[in-house]
Order: sequence, then C-alpha cells, then structure tokens
Amino acid sequence: MPLENISRGFKDISLSFLRHPVTNDIGTLSNEDAIKRSVVNLVRTRVGERFFNSLLGSKVESYFFELANSDIVDPLQEEIKTVISNFEPRVVVRDVNVALYPEDNELDVSIIYDIVGLAVPTQAINFILQPTRY
Amino acid sequence: MAFTDFTNLDFDQIRASIKDYLRANSTFTDFDFEGSNFSILIDILAYNSYLTAYNTNMVANEAFLDSATIRENVVSLARNIGFVPLSRRAAKANISFTVLGLNSSIQTITLKAGIVCTGSLDNTSYIFSIPEDITVGVSNGQATFSEIEIYEGTYLTKTFTVDTSQPNQKYIIPNPYVDTSTIRVKVYNDAQSSTSEDYSSVNDIVGISSTSQIFLIQEVSDEKYELFFGDGIFGKKLSNNNQIVISYITTNGPAGNGASNFVFSGILRDNTDAIITSSITSVVTNTPSQNGDNLQSIESVRYYAPRLYASQRRAVTAGDYEAILPSIYPNIESVTAYGGEEMMPPQYG
Repeated sequence: MPLENISRGFKDISLSFLRHPVTNDIGTLSNEDAIKRSVVNLVRTRVGERFFNSLLGSKVESYFFELANSDIVDPLQEEIKTVISNFEPRVVVRDVNVALYPEDNELDVSIIYDIVGLAVPTQAINFILQPTRY
Repeated sequence: MAFTDFTNLDFDQIRASIKDYLRANSTFTDFDFEGSNFSILIDILAYNSYLTAYNTNMVANEAFLDSATIRENVVSLARNIGFVPLSRRAAKANISFTVLGLNSSIQTITLKAGIVCTGSLDNTSYIFSIPEDITVGVSNGQATFSEIEIYEGTYLTKTFTVDTSQPNQKYIIPNPYVDTSTIRVKVYNDAQSSTSEDYSSVNDIVGISSTSQIFLIQEVSDEKYELFFGDGIFGKKLSNNNQIVISYITTNGPAGNGASNFVFSGILRDNTDAIITSSITSVVTNTPSQNGDNLQSIESVRYYAPRLYASQRRAVTAGDYEAILPSIYPNIESVTAYGGEEMMPPQYG
C-alpha cells in the first residue's frame, strides 16, 4: 500500500466563498495566508461576539471612541499582543505598530510576527481600522 | 467524543463533535485554531444545532403533563382530561347589619351587587363585595341583612356582544385575579333589552339539554378565564347581537384573610329603585374573613389532574376521595383517605 503524503501545513477555508477557476472547488487559504487571516480575525473580533466564548477577541474597536492621542497606543498594542498570544499558538509577535490618523478617523495597525514551525520569513500584516459610522 | 453520539445538547459538545468529524473526513486543518475562518463556521453550525436541540427538548418537555413547566401548557394538557384548575379564592366573611327608620311604604330593600364593606387588616384596607343582589323584606320600619357572605375583592363587569359572523369569537375575562366562583352571567336579547336570562356554570355536560342555560369556564393564557356557551345541542346557543354581561370579583386571595372590622360602603335601594339613605347600624362580624387562597399551582394541577380523571368525578375508592376533595375544598393542603377494610379491626360497609 503506497504511503500517503500528509501535508503538515495549515489549510483554511476562504470566507469569500469564491470558486476556484480550475478545480471548481471552494477557495482555500494555506499556511501563512491562513495564519494571517486568523490573526486578523482575532484582532477584529469583539469580546463577547463569539458564542459561548466570552474571552476570545479584543477591544481594539472600542478604542475608536477614545480620544485620538498617544495615550491609546500602548494599551492598543498590548491588547493585540495579548489576544494573539492567547488564541494563536502558531505565531510569535515581534512587534505591533499603531499609527494614528485622527483627521481621517483611522488607526493604522501593523503586526509583525514569526510563524512557529514553518520555514517562512517574518510576516507583517498591515490593516486600517475605521469606525463603521461617524 | 463519538460523532454518532446524538445526545449532545451542550454547545461545546456539539462543537467538539463537528471537529471530530472534520478531523477524520476533511483536508482542512485549521479548525482547531480559534481565529481561523473554519472555526467561525463551526461556531455557527454548533450554535444552530444547539438552538435546535434546545428547542426540540423544550417542545418535547412542554408536550407532556409530567414535564411541562409553562403554566399555559400545563393547564392546556390538564384541560385535555377535563380538569379545570382552581382559580384564586376570595376570602369570605359573614356579617349582619340592619337598616333603621324606613318609611312604611317601603316593602323590600335590596343590597346591590358590588362593594358592601371595607375591612382593615394590617394597616391595609380591603374591599369586600357581593356577586349578586340581596333583597330582604321590611318589617316595623327596619330591614335586617342577616348573615350575608361577603367576598374580599372588587366587583367588575364585562359585556360582550355576540357576533355570529366571527367564526371564532372568544369571551375572555380581561383580568387574571378572578375568583371563578363569583362569576355570574346574564344574557340580554340585544343592547336595548331590559330583561335577561341567568346562565349558570357547569363542569361537565352530563344532564345538559339543548335549552340549558349554561356556560363552561376554562383557564387560558396569562391566568385569565374564557367562557364557553352551548352549541344548541349541549346547552342553549347564543344568538347574534345577544349581550353577555359577565360580572365577577377580582381578589387578593389569601391576603384578605383575617379582616374582622368592617365599615359599610354598599348601595341600598328600595322596591322603587330609590337609593336608601336611612341610618344603618354598625356592621356585626359573625365570621372574620377566611379561606382566601391563591391560584392552584402548577404542581398541584400536575398531581390532581390525572387523579381526578382516573376517578371520573366519582367517589368510590380511597384514591377517588383524595382526588375529588381538593376540588370541593380548595384550601385543603393534603388528603389521606383509606377504606374501612384497612382499619384494625376492619370495618366493612
């Protein structure tokens, strides 16, 4: 019986639900892409949003209602580091940078991290947090 | 946990089952990480299954008398076996008073249905009423109302107009604190009619003819009561535009027990319907208010409904007596019945 190659990578479903043009299968995310999506999901999930898991998520979005000054930068960085270290064992956060753009009502967040167990370079995610309404 | 374990009702167990299945049958791997997209999908699936399982469990529970917890459902299930739960019972007091100095032309005095007295108890004043008029004769310029029974509570009326164009017209008393033993029903031909027919309450249709003026009471939602009238076969059928006047007393139940000092507040009319303002002696309390009680509890309904059904309203066996006595004496806390054959020495017959 031939040995089956079992991938030790990570594979997740894509919530865009777009069809793969060749296989006609549902879109997937692999390895560093899947982990990147997971990190963003964790940061963007509000605490209490997940069913029966009141600890998962971060309070990042609540910082939109704080005064946009340097006082919120440290807590925001700490919040992001905490949620990732608690719920995403596949990464080790190196740094979190937060840039304020009060005139645009935006927070520019960069998360730099290493993936544990995968031979890939240090990853960086950059995303902009905006309130849904002003 | 085995995926074929269908007894899971807990969210975490359902979630673990889905993950177990995926672990064995899927090429995806990330569902074990809370932040993954797959984890979000699993949460939604598990939550949906959890809600369905919970609702199914609750529906199944509410479908049986033994396990139903919502009063409306317990009462409805008891209704299927002909059981009507006892309503609140007004505390009853027995009083007497005399009206003095009446004109010789007055032959009778009527104490109108409604408020009769106020009674104080623990710094709270309670209203005591009667459900129907009481008429006494006048002798030597005075009329004596002797040993009349008054009910703690407020006398109210509700009028319905029969509309046969409505296929499912309901006659629901819009108040949950009714003592059903004080319900009186008069039916007028129409809104202009001055004469009425009295309808009486019955518990079953035994001995009821097509012209019997009867109604049945049934507890519906929110501890309110619905009245049912005859269909022309069992009981007289109501006609279009009939006016149904339902009078009843809403009561505070056991809170009205113990009042003994009463002050007269009723309305007296003579045989010409004029209001009497003659002097009235102070009210004599023959019996302080007692026997007020709460609505029959769910546990009590659950216990007695099948037993009363088993006894078929007969009193033959010891069990029959246990079931039927609380429906006659609502204040009974517990009943023990036994036959003479169980005594030492046995007593037969």
